[in-house]
Amino acid sequence: MKRVCLLIIMSALLVAGCGGSSHSSSGGGSTSGSSAGGHVNITIWHGYTDQEATAIKALAKEFNATHSNVTVTPQFYGNSDYALQKVLAAIAGGKPPDISYLYGSWAANIATNPSTVELGPYIEKDPSWNWNDFWQAARNVGTVNGKIIGVPALIDNLALVWNKKLFAQAGIPAPTANWTWTDFENAAIKLTNPAKKQFGWAYVNDASEDTVWRYWAMLWQAGGSILTPDGKQAAFDSPAGLKAMTLLQTLAGHNSIYLDDGSDTYLGVFTSGHIGMLWTGPWDLSQITAGNQPYGVQILPADQNHQTISGPDNWVVFNNGAARVKAAIEFLKWFTSPAIDLKWAMMTGDLPIRASVMNQPGYQQFVKKYPGIGVWVQNLKNATQSRPVTTTYPKISTVVGQAVQSVLLGKAQPQQALSSAAQQVNGILSAPS
Amino acid sequence: MTARAERIRASDQRPALWRRVLGSEHLAGWAFVTPAVVLIAVFFLIPIGWALLLSFQANNLLAPGHYIGLANYRALAKDPQFRSAIGHTIVYTVVFVPVSIIGALGLAVALDRRIRGISFYRLAVFVPLVTSTVATGIVFLWLLDPTFGVVNYLLHLVGLPQQKFLQDPNQAIYCIVAMTVWGWLGFDVIVFLAALQSIPQDLLEASEIDGAGKWATFRSVVFPLLGPATLFLVVWSTINALQLFDEIYVTTRGGPLGSTTVIVYYLYEQAFQFFNAGYGAAIAYVLFAAILVVTLLQLWIGRRRVYYVS
Repeated sequence: MKRVCLLIIMSALLVAGCGGSSHSSSGGGSTSGSSAGGHVNITIWHGYTDQEATAIKALAKEFNATHSNVTVTPQFYGNSDYALQKVLAAIAGGKPPDISYLYGSWAANIATNPSTVELGPYIEKDPSWNWNDFWQAARNVGTVNGKIIGVPALIDNLALVWNKKLFAQAGIPAPTANWTWTDFENAAIKLTNPAKKQFGWAYVNDASEDTVWRYWAMLWQAGGSILTPDGKQAAFDSPAGLKAMTLLQTLAGHNSIYLDDGSDTYLGVFTSGHIGMLWTGPWDLSQITAGNQPYGVQILPADQNHQTISGPDNWVVFNNGAARVKAAIEFLKWFTSPAIDLKWAMMTGDLPIRASVMNQPGYQQFVKKYPGIGVWVQNLKNATQSRPVTTTYPKISTVVGQAVQSVLLGKAQPQQALSSAAQQVNGILSAPS
Repeated sequence: MTARAERIRASDQRPALWRRVLGSEHLAGWAFVTPAVVLIAVFFLIPIGWALLLSFQANNLLAPGHYIGLANYRALAKDPQFRSAIGHTIVYTVVFVPVSIIGALGLAVALDRRIRGISFYRLAVFVPLVTSTVATGIVFLWLLDPTFGVVNYLLHLVGLPQQKFLQDPNQAIYCIVAMTVWGWLGFDVIVFLAALQSIPQDLLEASEIDGAGKWATFRSVVFPLLGPATLFLVVWSTINALQLFDEIYVTTRGGPLGSTTVIVYYLYEQAFQFFNAGYGAAIAYVLFAAILVVTLLQLWIGRRRVYYVS
């Protein structure tokens, strides 16, 4: 008899378990967030820690206090590197977040998902978005084949950070905004001293996108482009591409480059006074400031121009029914408005996402609070081009990463590496998707 | 007559079906294992089946996929990068398995005696096994750093040339071997130690009486008796080696120049970086088939060679 009881309990539990899960998946979340009174609850997924985590909680609270019809709940999803898998699982389970922070490099692939909301119609209908006020590079990354699927969440760019002490020791004048590649190359070689384990420059050499995007900045500075205007063929195998690759070869040949294995050890090496110059972004600023090396920040040196590269990320909205989509867009508009974005920047040290933030009354305080940040903000004007927003970009990146790495390691000549990479990229672009 | 007939009639009047089903021993047994079975099914069997379906699809896990028959498998057969991933995996396995097993055997013999502080030595050998792979990876990255690493510093002290280690395409895979041998040796040592300690003492005494020296005893008595343990470790290490991933992921990420891109890392790249989940699933199934064949071959050879004490 006991046995029978147990069985009944167990099967009841099983049924309850199955019932529970099927209910929640069939519910689809389409109505569960909105109640009869017109009040809408939405969730926003993010990977923020430290100051950024505090900031998103504070701003969500502020939004909820000032908007009686919507309640926003920020949810931490862990490291942003793995956010895509989690969001995919949530979509498959029928309960996607209303908004999620997602890397810009995923945009083209995310756009293929039916749950992803196309934001263009909402933004075009509402001039108060002032869409063109967002930095060009950030807008490009959220736009896939002309359709807007992401609101800019973060923008950064590469600038030159230099160690004042090492420059003084080597007798090199401070880098100016008119520096050329020749100035840069000479300085890097002069700053190199193997006996003191001292390097002129550092380069992330793990063949990942971290390797590739620094090369794109050089390619653009030399007047080149990644793909042909129609996006159907590689265009980096050009005199500009060769010039950029040759600069890498020359500096690597002089042992002037500290080759980072991808674990960001260059930061520790820089702050211990063993690297003269970095090409890096504001995300390293707090650690550079914490180190005790006197540093300066300058825009990147020029060949033809001073272009830099930016790696923007997006807020992506997923469809949980019209009411929640509307609420999500309302929140994003508020969150990225100039006044709120300046608050965010003050709290986190992130660069302003819009140009007009620089005209906000409190902007000068921001620049004072984070020494050097002003150069990166100004440098956003030099981030005029973007990486191609296509589903095949991750593959292109891998090929070019290997090409750059082979030159840095002295395993290939620049032209040879470029030709082989261009051939592979053309193969990727012509393959049926 | 009556007693017997009644008994027969009683057995004819069997209880109702539901009572029989609910009361049966089998059902109770199944009920007890149901939670485990459900877990295994949900997290193991269903994904295995789903991966098989996925391998016949063009699927990026984002948009709904569509069936393309054997196209993924056909593409794999012609994929030069997959071929070089197989090459790297074979090099790794062929070095890793013998080195770790011979090393573990030596250590186990050394640790199988009563000396002062033996527990400490055994613990020292075992600790790397329970250290997280990420921690191991970071420690090795620092040890092997070409500019600031301890290993190059030691080489410098004894006047040997500086090495690039994980940053050299020709050395990286062997550095990974060293790192994984260090990390996994503890397990092999424990298995060997257990096997060594279960060798009957009278056999060792008998060989001593017969005049066998230490080496002859080891070769002719101890080693054959370690056969089952050795076979197990060969099979187990090979399976692990063919599925190498974590150590690559936390150190070289397949580089430099793809020299440590092993099969599972290539699978990961395809599925989660290039969004070719169907292609990744096909790689997983090819690997599964290869492991099955290799394991069966090893067991078949083992059955002929290994001596089992009854």
